[in-house]
Formats: sequence, C-alpha cells, structure tokens
Amino acid sequence: MTEFLDLENQDSVRMPWNVLPGTKSDAANCLIPISAVYTPLKPLPAATPLLPYSPLRCRNCRSVINPFSIVDFSSVNKIWICCFCLNRNHFPPHYQSISDQSMPAELFPQYTTIEYETTAPHENSGQGVGGNVFLFVVDTCVIEEELGFLKSALLQVLGMVPENCLIGLISFGTYVHVHELGFGQIPKVHVFKGTKEVTKDQLLEQMGFFAKRPRPTTGVIAGARDGLSPESISRFLLPASDCEFVLNSILEELQRDPWPVPSDQRAARCTGTALSLAAHLLGVCVPGSGARIMAFLGGPSTEGSGAIVSKNLSEPIRSHKDLDKDSAPHYHKAVKFYEGLSRQLVHQGHVLDVFACALDQVGVAELKTAVEKTGGLVVLAESFGHSVFKESVRRVFQSDQDLGLSSNGIFEISCSKDMKIQGIIGPCASLDKKGPLCSETAIGQGNTTAWKLCGLDKTTSLCLIFDVIKKESPDVLAQSENNQFYFQFLTYYQHGSGQMRLRATTFSRRWVAGPGSKEGLISGFDQEAAAVVMARQVSLKMETEAEFDPIRWLDKSLIHICSRYGEYQKDSPSSFSLSPRLSIFPQFMFNLRRSQFVQVFNNSPDETAYFRMILNRENVANSVVMIQPSLISYSFHSGPEPALLDVASIAADKILLLDSYFTIVVFHGSTVAQWRKAGYHELPEHQAFAQLLQAPRDEADAIMRERFPVPRLVICDQHGSQARFLLAKLNPSATYNSDAPVAPGGDILFTDDVSFEVFLDHLQRLAVQ
Amino acid sequence: MATPGGPRPRNFPPNYNPNALANNLQNLQVSQPNQQHSSNLGGNAPRPPNTTPFGQQPPSFAGSRPGPPPPGVFPRGPVPPSVQAQTTLPPNMVSTRPTGPPMGSQPPPPFASRPPPPGALPSSIGGHSALGSRPGPFSSSPLPSGPSAPSYTNTSGPVGNGPPAFASGMIQNGPRFPPGVGSMPRPAVGPPQSPTLLSSGPSSHPPQMRPGFGGLNSGASSTMGQPGPPFSGPPQNMPPPLGSMPFSAPVPGMLQSSGSPYGMQTWPPHPQQMVPPPPTAGPMQQQPMFGMPPPPPLPNQSMALSQTGQSKIDPNQIPRLAPSSTVILHETRQENQANPPPPATSDYIVKDTGNCSPRYMRCTINQIPCTVDLLSTSAMQLALLVQPLALSHPSEEPIQVVDFGESGPVRCSRCKGYINPFMKFIDQGRRFICNLCGFTDETPRDYHCNLGPDGRRRDAYERPELCRGTVEFVASKEYMVRDPMPAVFFFLIDVSMNAIQTGATAAACSAINQVIADLPDGPQTMVGIATFDSTVHFYSLKRALQQPLMLIVPDIQDVYTPLQSDVIVQLAECRQHLEILLESIPSMFQNNRTADSAFGAAVKAAFLSMKSTGGKLLVFQSVLPSVGIGSLSSREAEGRSNASAGEKEALKLLQPVDKTLKTMAIEFAEYQVCVDLFITTQTYVDIASLSVVPRTTGGQVYYYYPFSALCDSAKLYNDLRWNVTRPQGFEAVMRVRCSQGIQVQEYSGNFCKRIPTDVDLPAIDCDKTIMVSLKHDDKLQEGSECAFQCALLYTTVYGQRRIRVSTLSLSCTNTLSNMFRSADLDTQFACILKQAANEIPSAPPAQVRDQATNVCINILFAYRKFCATVSSNGQLILPEALRLLPLYALALLKSNGLRSDGRLDDRSFWINHVSPLPTPLVIPLVYPRMIAIHDLEEKASDDSVIPTTIPLLSENLTDEGIYLLENGEDCLIYVASSVDPNILQQMFGISSVEEISNQFILQQYDNSLSKKLNAIVNEIRRQRSSYLRLRLCRKGDSSGMLFFSYMVEDKTPSGLSYVEFLVHIHRLIQTKMA
Repeated sequence: MTEFLDLENQDSVRMPWNVLPGTKSDAANCLIPISAVYTPLKPLPAATPLLPYSPLRCRNCRSVINPFSIVDFSSVNKIWICCFCLNRNHFPPHYQSISDQSMPAELFPQYTTIEYETTAPHENSGQGVGGNVFLFVVDTCVIEEELGFLKSALLQVLGMVPENCLIGLISFGTYVHVHELGFGQIPKVHVFKGTKEVTKDQLLEQMGFFAKRPRPTTGVIAGARDGLSPESISRFLLPASDCEFVLNSILEELQRDPWPVPSDQRAARCTGTALSLAAHLLGVCVPGSGARIMAFLGGPSTEGSGAIVSKNLSEPIRSHKDLDKDSAPHYHKAVKFYEGLSRQLVHQGHVLDVFACALDQVGVAELKTAVEKTGGLVVLAESFGHSVFKESVRRVFQSDQDLGLSSNGIFEISCSKDMKIQGIIGPCASLDKKGPLCSETAIGQGNTTAWKLCGLDKTTSLCLIFDVIKKESPDVLAQSENNQFYFQFLTYYQHGSGQMRLRATTFSRRWVAGPGSKEGLISGFDQEAAAVVMARQVSLKMETEAEFDPIRWLDKSLIHICSRYGEYQKDSPSSFSLSPRLSIFPQFMFNLRRSQFVQVFNNSPDETAYFRMILNRENVANSVVMIQPSLISYSFHSGPEPALLDVASIAADKILLLDSYFTIVVFHGSTVAQWRKAGYHELPEHQAFAQLLQAPRDEADAIMRERFPVPRLVICDQHGSQARFLLAKLNPSATYNSDAPVAPGGDILFTDDVSFEVFLDHLQRLAVQ
Repeated sequence: MATPGGPRPRNFPPNYNPNALANNLQNLQVSQPNQQHSSNLGGNAPRPPNTTPFGQQPPSFAGSRPGPPPPGVFPRGPVPPSVQAQTTLPPNMVSTRPTGPPMGSQPPPPFASRPPPPGALPSSIGGHSALGSRPGPFSSSPLPSGPSAPSYTNTSGPVGNGPPAFASGMIQNGPRFPPGVGSMPRPAVGPPQSPTLLSSGPSSHPPQMRPGFGGLNSGASSTMGQPGPPFSGPPQNMPPPLGSMPFSAPVPGMLQSSGSPYGMQTWPPHPQQMVPPPPTAGPMQQQPMFGMPPPPPLPNQSMALSQTGQSKIDPNQIPRLAPSSTVILHETRQENQANPPPPATSDYIVKDTGNCSPRYMRCTINQIPCTVDLLSTSAMQLALLVQPLALSHPSEEPIQVVDFGESGPVRCSRCKGYINPFMKFIDQGRRFICNLCGFTDETPRDYHCNLGPDGRRRDAYERPELCRGTVEFVASKEYMVRDPMPAVFFFLIDVSMNAIQTGATAAACSAINQVIADLPDGPQTMVGIATFDSTVHFYSLKRALQQPLMLIVPDIQDVYTPLQSDVIVQLAECRQHLEILLESIPSMFQNNRTADSAFGAAVKAAFLSMKSTGGKLLVFQSVLPSVGIGSLSSREAEGRSNASAGEKEALKLLQPVDKTLKTMAIEFAEYQVCVDLFITTQTYVDIASLSVVPRTTGGQVYYYYPFSALCDSAKLYNDLRWNVTRPQGFEAVMRVRCSQGIQVQEYSGNFCKRIPTDVDLPAIDCDKTIMVSLKHDDKLQEGSECAFQCALLYTTVYGQRRIRVSTLSLSCTNTLSNMFRSADLDTQFACILKQAANEIPSAPPAQVRDQATNVCINILFAYRKFCATVSSNGQLILPEALRLLPLYALALLKSNGLRSDGRLDDRSFWINHVSPLPTPLVIPLVYPRMIAIHDLEEKASDDSVIPTTIPLLSENLTDEGIYLLENGEDCLIYVASSVDPNILQQMFGISSVEEISNQFILQQYDNSLSKKLNAIVNEIRRQRSSYLRLRLCRKGDSSGMLFFSYMVEDKTPSGLSYVEFLVHIHRLIQTKMA
C-alpha cells in the first residue's frame, strides 16, 4: 500500500492499476477500468519551487516539457523530445544556457509535478484583481428563528471576507431582491418576479447598466472591458471593505418574505430564478474572473423555473421511489433548467455553492448538476443553526485552515498514443474539445481533452477513465522496450491570490501484455483506488442508466475479478484465496453495497445527491472512509486501536469512534455510559476515565477540523436511540436471528441483511465456478 | 362677489356700458318685467360699508380655524434646480396648513339629529349645527360647550349629516336669516317669460310675447325683483372672512390686513356647505329685448344685411352677460311646482323644498315635453347635468343622512327607485305608488304612517326622504360587496432626467409633502409612494425605525408590485418616513441620466399594489412615456412631417394611439382605482392617449405647459391639495332613473361603464359632472310630473357607505312656448359644449363647428317659427331664456378645442377638461371673465371684490389699462402699452412694460393696489375652485396674441365678430323660414 501513497504524494495520482494492461483485450478483462484519481491542487511538497515563467510546450502536441522529456544537451541547438509524440523541439533562446549540470526545475526528476505562474489569460481591468467575488443568494422564506441563525452566520462571514473581495447580495422569496449596495442614500433593491425568467440582455436593460451611456450596438456585453462602466458594476458588487457597513445593516434588517403563505401551502420560493439572476449578474459584471454564487437555501423551490415541487402541501416532495417510477412531475424540468444554468456558469467561469439547511429537501438533487459542473461546494444540514452549517460556512472563509479555494480552472491531459480518455467522473465540465485522445465511448464528462473547473480546491479530485486501444499484435506480445505509458495532466487555474497558475503533472506507468501479465497486474493493483473508482462508477451509472441494478453489477464485477485474479481450484470454494493486493477488495465491495451510495432508499434524493457529490470530489483516502467507515476502539485495556467494522466490536466497557465521513459517532459502551452518568470522570481519582472519555472526542475534533463539509458529530450510548448511526454501519455478524451467542456487553442488530461472512461464502462459491 | 347679508341693490357699474339699459329701454318697446335695477339704475346705490367679499360663509372658518396664518411662515417649497428658483420662494403658496375639519362626510361618532345649539339660529338654516358634537377639528371653536351629542339611537330618524361648520359664526353673529328661508318673499329668480328680440327695424313693434307671462311680470312690477332684504343680518355683523379665502398670495413677511389667510379651499368638509362658485355674471335678470335698430332693408338679401347691418348695430346693445351681484334665494319647489333654477353661474342659495338643488341636477328644459315630436320640433335636447357631490352654498341646509337600519332605504320593488317626496302614499299609507315606474308597493310595516287630510303622510315633514329632494341614506350590508374601502392615496412621481432638471420632481415632492398634512386623518387613510423613470421604484415605508427601502421593479413590460403590504401603509404610521423620503427624492435622483419614462408600467405597477383596496392614484408625469407598457411615440412630430396626410390623419392625433391604456384603465376602474394625472411638461406628451386613463377611472388631467418650477409650483400644490381635500367619495356607482315615458339614452363624463344602466366611478368628487342624455320611450301626460332620480352609492373618505339620492320632479307640457320659457341656457350650452368636445376627435373641425352652429340655429329657428308671433321677418327674435345662446355659440367656435391651429396637447387637454366640467364653469371656459384692474383705486367705493366685467371686445381695451381675464383655468393679465409706470410698480414691482417676463409670480406688495389685485385673484380662485395659471401679457409678443385670442367678440381672420355672427344667424334663420 505504501508505495501507492508515495506515488500519490509525488503526483497526487492514485490508480487502481499501477501496472497497466497493455492491450485492449487485456484492459477489457480487468473489469475495473484503467483510471486515475487525480487531485490537481493537492499541496506540493514545500521544497517545490513555483516557476515564475510560462512552460515550454511541444510544438506538435502542446504538452509541457517535463522530466520525462529527452533533452539533448550536446548539440549546439539544444533540443528536447516530447515523450508523448516524440516530436523534436528547439529550446527558445533563453534556455540556451542549460546543460545537464544546470537544468531548469521542470526537468528535475523529483519535480514531475510542478507549478508555473503564468500571465493571466483574462487580464481583469481594474475589477476583481486579486480578489474573489462572492455573491450571496439568501433565502428569506424561512421561519424567523432560522432567518436569525442565517443572518448571524452571514454577519460573521462578512467579518472574515478579505477586504479586496467583491461582495454582492441577492435575497429571494416570492420575488428576487437584488440589493444595490453602492447606493448611499437609502437601501435600494431591484425586485424581480420569481415566476419569470429574465435573460441577460433584459437584465442589462432593466438594471440600467446603460443608463448613462449609449449601449454598444453590437457584440457581447460583459464586464468592464466590453463597455460596462465600473460605476454601474460597483452598484452591485463592492469590495468588502467598502460595503461592510451597508451590508451589515441590510442583513440586520433582512425580513422574512412578506408574502403570506396559506396554511395548506409551501412558501413561494423562487430559487431557480434567483440563481439565474445571480448568474446573469456575475456574467454581466465579472465574466471570466473567479466568482462564487453562494446560495443559502432554506426550503424547496416552488416558484418559477427550477421549482421542484408545487406549492400545494398535499403534494409531497419527490422520493427515490417517485424518481424511479418517473412520477416526479417537476424533476426533469428542474434538472433541465439547472443544466442550462450550469452551462451558463461554466461558460462564465463562475461557481455555484449550495448551503442547504432544512428539515425537508430543498432540491439538491436537481441542483446537483449545476453545483458539480461548476465545482461548487455543497453543505447539507438540518438547520442554519446546526453546527454542520455554521462551522462549514466559517471554514470557507477561514484563512488559517484554508480550503485552497481556487477558480476558473482548465484541466487538460496528454497521454501516450495508445491511450485514450473516456471521461472524468468528478466536479468538472467538459469543454467539448475533441481531439485524437478522445475515446469513442464517453463516461461522465467525456468527448473532450479539456475540462473546465470553475471552482476547485485542494481536495478536489477527479476520476479519469482511460481506454487502452492498442490492438494485440506480435510486437506487443514481444514486450517492446518502450513499455511505459506516459500521462500529463495540466491544470490552469486562478489561485486564491488572483494569480493565474499552471500545474503540470507528468508520470508514467509500465504496461504488461500477454498471457503472463496477470501477476504484473496484481502487483500494481491499488484496491482502495479501485474501490473508489467502483463507487464513483456505480453512482454515475445509477444516476444515468435506466433500469440499472447496482447490486447485481457490483456482484458480477467482484465475482469476475475474484475468479480472474484469485487462486483456487475450480469448484472448490475452500481452496479460494486472494493475493494480499486484492484481499480487502471484497470487503470494500461488501460495504459499498451497503453504503448510502448504493442503498438509496433510506435517504432522500437530496441526501443521495449530496453524498455522491462529496464522493465525486474527494480523494481516495476520504472516499474509502465514506465507503467503509473506520472504527476505532478505546478502552482501559489498550490504547486506541482500529476495530473491526462489526457488531462484535461493541463492548460495554469500550468507547467506539466511528468515522463514516459525513457522521462521526462516539459510542459509549453501556458500562462506560453508566460511569459517565455517575460523574466518575469529574472525580480526581478517576482521571484515567476522564482521559478515556476525552480521547475519542479529541480524535473526533481532529477529524472535523480537517474535513469539509464539517461532519456531524453524534455522541451516543449503547442502547440509546442515537446509537443507530453506528449500528447501521456495522457488519451484521450477530443479528436477532443468528444462533451465535452474544458476548456479554455486546449487541445484536435487528436486520435481515447478510453478514460479511455469508457474503464471502457466496463469493467464494461463485468465484470458483 | 355678492353679499347676501344685506339688502343688495342691483348694481350696474357706471363705468361699464353706462347707458345700455337706458338705451334698451328706450329703443325696445318691450315689456320690462321684473327688473330689479329700476331703483338703482346707475349703480350708485349706497352700499353697506365693510362688506366682505364673501359674507356668506366665513363664520365657520372663524370657528374651525385658528386664525390667519402666521405671517412669514412659508411652507417647504420645492427646490427647483436653478439658484434663482431656490431663493425665490414660490409665491402664492399657502402658508398654513389649516386644521380644518375633515372633508367628506361626517366623522363617525355623532350620528344624531342634533338639536340646535343654545341660542342658535332658526332651525331652517343653522339648525344642524352640531358643533359641540364634532370631535377634533372644532375644538378651537368659540362655542364653549355646544349641544351634547345625542346618542346614536333613532336609526330611522332624520340625521343631520352636515358638519356644523358655520354654526359658530352664526352664533357669533346672530341669526342671519331670522324668518327662515321658507318664509322669505320669493326672490325674483324666475326668469320673466319674455323673449328677447333683436329688432331689426324701428318700425317693428315687438309685441309682448306671452301676455300671460308678461302680466305676471309686468314691467311695472319691477320692484318685485327686489323682494326686500333676503337676509336681515346687517352686513356689519358679518365676521371678517377669516380663512375664507381659498387662495392667497402670501408674501413672506406680509401681514394680511384683510384677514385673508391664504388657505386654499379651506371649505368645511361637507360638500353641501361648500361655497359654490358664484356667478361670473349670470344673466339672472333678463334683458328684455335688444334692438338692432338699423334694419337691413331687405332681409332676404343677405349681402345687404351683413353690410349694412354691421355698420349700424350698436355692439353695446346686443345681448351680453349681465353682471349680477345679488345672491338669489331659490326654493326648489313652490306651490307644488318645480321652480326653474337660477342660472348656474349666479350666486344663489337653495332651499330644498322637494326637488333637489340645481347644483346636483339640472335639466336642459325645466318642463318636460310630453312627446318626442314636441321635443324634436323644439330642436332642443333633453338632458340632465348631474353633479352628485357638488359643493353647496355655506348657507344652505346640509344634506340629511337617513339611516333605515339593516333593512336599508325603502325602495320600489320593481324599478328599485328610492323613496322620495313624490312617491304617493295611498290606502291609509299602507301602499305607495312609485313616481318613477308607477308600480304600487306595500309600505314596509315599520315604515307605515297614516295619511293626513292633505293626502300626505303625517310624518312627511319630519322625514327628510319625504320632503327633501336630496338625502343621503346609510347603506346597509346589502350595498356592500366588501367592507368599505379605506381612503388610499398613492403618489407616483416621474424622476426621469427631464423631470428632475425642470424641477418638476421637486415641485411634486414638495406639494405632496405639504398635502400630507391635509389628508383626512384617521386609520382609514393610507398612502403609498413610488417614483419612476425607465423603471418603477416603490418605497417600503413601514419599517419600524429604519429608513424607507427602495424597491425597484425593473421589468416594465410585465410589471408587478414588489411587496404585498408595506408599500401602502396607514398615514399615521409613516408620516415621518414619508416626509423624509419626499425631501430626499429630488436629491436622490439629482444625477439621474435616464431620459426614458415608463409611465404605463409605473401606473400599472402602482395599480397592482392598490388592487386589493382601490383608491386614488396621483401621477406626476413630465415627459412622453417612451418605454414599457403603453409607451407612446412623438406622434405630433410625425404628424407635422406628415402634414400632407390629410384631415383624417390629423384627427387621429386627437384620438388615443391604441387600446393599451384604455384596457388598463378599464381594469383600474374595475378595482376602484382612480387616476389623476398632473402633467408638468415642456414638450408634447400625447394627452390624447394619456388622458384615457383618468377619463375612464373618474379622474382628471392637470396640465402645466410649459412647466415652470418657479411659477407653477404653487398651482401644483394648490391643485393637489384641492384634489385630495375636496369632498369626494370612492368606489361609487351611479344610476339615473326616470319616470315612465323617459329613459336614459347615454351617460357621458369621466367614468367607466360596464353595464349600460350604471356608471362606475372609482372616485367621484364635487367637481365632476356627468351629462345624462334622455330620450322618450312613451308619451307623457300633460299636467303630470316627470321625475328623475340620481342615486349615487359611494364610500366616504371615512369609510362609510352612503347612497346619495337626488330627485327632481318636473311638470310635463304639451306647449312649445312653455319649453322655451323654461329652457335652461347654461345647461343647454353645457350639453352643446360637451357634445362638441366629444365630436372633435372623430370629425373634422369644420364639421364640428357647423354642427354647433346648427344646433343653435335650429333652436332659434324653431322658436322663431313656432313661438314668435312677430310679423316682420326683419327681426332676429331670441327666446328670452336662450338669448345668449348665439354669443356662447360664437365663443365656442373660437375656443381652444374647436380651433384647428392650436397645439395638439392643448386641444386634447381642452377636450378632456370639458368632459367632467361642472355647469357653472362651462360658460367662463368659453366666454372668460375680463375685468379692468388698473383703476381699482378709483373703484374704491365699490364693495364687491371683483369689478364689473367687460365684454370680450378689444375695443374695450385702452392703452392705459391693465386687464385681467380668467376662464377658470388660466388667468391672463394684460398690460397695455402706456400704462402708468407707477401702477406697474405698485402691482407687479416692475417699472415698465418691457420688464414683463414669461415667469410671472403674483406677489403682494405693501400698497392698496397690490392688495386689491391679490384680493381679486384670490376671490376668483375661490369661486372657481382653481388656483389659476397666472400669466402677464403685453402687446406685441406671443403672450399678447394669446390674450387677444380670448377676445371672442372681435372679428378675427378665421372668425366672425359677435355682430357679424348675429347677422349670420339671422340670415340663416331667414333662409330656413323662407
């Protein structure tokens, strides 16, 4: 395992197959696709320099010079050979002084991942340079208490926004209120009807952007460069330092939506229109520079485009069942609307972040497309007063635990000619830039070699799916000398500081082919990465493929893998064994089958969408936790130790700490709970007990500090109601109808789910057939 | 003008037409009936000193107002952009906010029949003073306690609804009408029934037309016209008219020695007690016959007639308005017969003795022809002019409010006519016959009353609905589809670049800011405000302690209201916010560069926010609406460049450009929103299209062109103030019912009509008149009576639902001469005028002019043919009642609307102005009043504020004179070329004619001339309920041209002189005769 982590540390890449199948047919037999989970902005080792110049690029394939390029220092005209297309490129004059003794950093073998600071592709004229743009879109159709929580959260945030950031505010309910922050005399808002879609041109017209000068007769109007006066922009988007006072007073005075709501109806909430207006406003004012729409939603959209449910309370919000039966009347229309919105945002390079806080659903499932394609953040909580929301929103603006929010990214890849790219599963949008690298089949965001990442941060991880196209041929079988596949990932982005940067990651992997390739493949198998790729894949398929049976698909894949890579005698289940490289994979699959990504019926569509969005943007380590939660046991007998994710791990005198990524459960065994209730930990003579109680809390805090969105912390006792958060994740090795006696202090689960042991038995039986 | 408080001799000022009457008497051998002036020919009758210009009504003000305003107090004025404007305070601004009693009808608490206050007057006049029982506004009353308000018990009893506005004054001054009006000698009001003949030959002996009438009013009995002092109170007892002056010309720092406090229209709240506009110069006393001494030798030879005739006609002898300064006492019925009303323009006091006051309803003919044939023979038209909320004279008895409780007023079960004095009770009172449809109804049990020996109910005189022509019923639940609406005032202000830069916005804001104080007090008064340029800006005013919030509605194609509540809030809750906001609006938008105006969208948006309640929408608009719904194009310019397109195209410019605004307006009316439009502009704004909105919703257009922040701010304020404070009602429905045989043919005026029988009036006020044309559908019986009943269901500004019912019962006749004798000139001419105005947008001007002339000729021809027994053809014989018809017809032909050379907007405005115009203002509009003001000092002995009028003939103007001419809307002061500089200096503060500028502000200087001029202007303003646009004119420039264009008796390039016109008419009649 560790070698994979080392590779990840160097290049931020995890691949299920680190030794690649060399031919198309081999690849097809792998079942788990040739793929890579790449974290473009993973912090680089401290020593890595930031190169203050633009990279050299191959004249032929536009890939960037890298340590794998062959450099000919000898000749007078120094030349480098592109490792992807083997084109010979001349160095420009200022590289003339290089030699094998003095190489530029980008050629150093340890700097396979390196960053260049380039000139900005879009030079901003005066506006927004160095600062991000935050446009708050605030739902006012919430009860007074929630509005109070929201206001205080926003006021707090306001104090944390860097001074040079531009801020705008839109509040909405039945109508959309675009607040004009730059008007000194009295508070001024532009009110738009919630039921009506406004186009960008109408917005330009209606908001008086051309009141003081003639409107250009032709051309696209956007931003200060294209004819908008800075004054007209600064009516709506103002540097935080300039509008703090105004914004504070507006937020303090923010009222609930004043339109009356009949008791049998939902509030008229025009989320779609508000977001669309926000997108237009940013598109008009700051196109092409990093800007985030931060939507704070307190309920479902019921008005205008993007409504997910009718106002009538007798109509329930769609469930998974409705979606499956295609009986959610608003779903497809809303999804289509938000797809349109996401296209616009991607085009403008702007991000949509959603902070959804309501007991009921708010429409995250529909919004998912817009959030995911723009690389937005998403936080789902029950209330604006809940710590999940409060802490998360604070995290976004906290400077010390920086999320590394960056924007306006463009991601491009190059790879060896026998490789093609099928697509990316992750928070990005295809730029539809077709090239020879494009595979004929597309998975996720495909049909392109370039993707837009409107918003990305240091954990954003993309899952790239490749396709080997090399046909089996004699020379392939002969294992030619050049048995490396090269990959280069290029990420342009606007750094939080406002600079434009380019990160280039170049790496290679050996390929094997032919009959003897099985061992090689197994040796390069990263089961964690494989589980994550499977999880992303199965989620995607569940969303996109009709009649898809995820359990069946997963089981089939697992059985195939086991029968292909396992050691066994045919038809003898007991003879079955797996290489250590593969040994935990069935367990990952077992837990994936039981996870929220596959078992959706306990969750609302919103929750599922939320879980999947997080899964799709997190790195392998975090994703594995989501698939298979980690369990740590604390007791007097031993220090903290990992425990089996099994009901058998429960003991009366233990404290368990479950990390299922979204939820962290601190579970006190019944004895521990009794002690705690008796207050022993407050007694000086039981300091050890206090420490024991404290240890899992500290660990939980540490996890929560690391993570965004901030997970939900559940502290519970054995047999308590909250204990369900733990029990649901445990392997049901002891259930109410199992015969095995329960250890004293242990627990049983009331479930009919099969336990892992049963699962494995079946697997072995089927694998050896 | 008139002082009813004392014996008022008839006064013919000597300096005008000094020997006209004498000449007439000598030249015309005509019976001289009923002349009041006989004893005072020459007009030098001794006048009681110290009479006040308006002796009738002031006392109430003394009581209801704290007194004259503090001098030097100047209201917050608008701040026009120029520095000069800022330093020059708009003059004539009212400097106080009178704390007068609320307008409209009664404030809630005191419904009761009120006993007269101790020591009070005979009940006939002052009986319903319930001073003490009124809350609030009267606390400053000199009455120490007043009668305690009786409790609200007898629901069915007659309830005085009048505010006791005048009571305190009366108490102070003692009874002014000691004997009671009813017992007064009959004033010489009835027109003597003799025709006016224009004799065309000295040899002709104009015979007495109808000896019967002549006998009734024989020339000898000329004293009869002077029936003794109608009012016994000596004028000396009159209180000074504190606060009675509706307009004023305050000069900062000036003390009003005359006590005229500059409050505009500070009438007491009740319409029926309002001071009626006194007559300009009503032809109340008939001039018998005017000679046209030189007869055309050959009447059939038209050429000869016109040539010779012209040269010989003495212009001073042709029929003219005879000034009258006496107050006439008018009983609506006498001897169980309808009494023909005094001229609409005269000053009269009505005693309702069964028929409604002519202020509320007048008929073109006061005897109804029995058959349609008779009517068409007469060529006159049968129509009613209804002004249901007209202001009444302060001395008149207030309209009584009758509450029938939950059952509502008694009505005929078939025609739904309301109980009135002409319903005949039979069968011991158990049943009654409806005088409208003839149906016999059962009397409701609790309304039963036995009949007296005279066949009338014994309680007839105790029940107002059985003895008064006008009563107001408290509407029961049955009459409400919802709770009575609150009084909503929504102000919508143009803040586009042009409006800001011309100071129109500032003027509007300032006017509104001041007017807020005058809005009716109480929780039912609600206000809203919005501004607009190319977007609409609402303001949320209900925000506890915070600033108002501006809410912009940017979508002007599909507007909406940004908030459901908080845009319109109770006045009491937002007064401060509103004031701050109004002060800051001009500065907030001072850099506005948006030239576009989304008028249609703004009005629609404001409407949407008022939709749930209804109310008044007051729009201040400065430019042509150029964007959004209902945007307009500059059709005038297009029309000009397209001049060859012909008449039809030209006419189109007087019609609305499309139906958009009309459709909107109908929707507004449906939701009881009334739109008033204040157009403060310097350009073409297409009034023809815009005016559709006020017209359909019962509103009106105010037009300030060319707008000057300096001169017009004061008028804007005063207009706005009158608009919101005058007696008015909301969500009204009106229907006129007629006796069998007659039915309503058509209503015309400013309203919305959804079903043919009813008129929907989102708002109705005292200045709105509706013309109701009638037609026969059956024969009437001679000797019977034909009744007309106008019922207006409305909500007062205090949120009470009322039904005002006015009934007019006229006798039927089969005799043509009766019809001519009882013809009502003012009403007939008003109808002609309104019909002509309606025609203008759809017919070529020449056709409209011909039509108007023909109407006049046909009437005169009918009279000549069927009634006049004069043998000679050479005489132009005019029916006495209609003798001024030719003059008015001529004036009409030369009026703004019928002239085709005027600006489009001016013509459109004129058409719109005419539509709801009350009868008393119709005559001055076409035939303005002109007076000389350079010799005011010499007329010192004259007690009437306004000097004698001069005929509109430029010959009458001297080179040394200064003349004031007013038509109820504009007031032109013409300064001739060689005026004494001293006078100029005193009056206007300028030393020579050359200094006259377009921007004229009347100021009061510390000299008697200036004070007199101001007094005159204020008096005119009060009479007209209008502030007047003042303009100084001098010869030789456009202002002079304007002034002379009003000289309607002059010969002009496009029009005949009066004399020529008479000859022309005569010729045409003779042609017809032949």
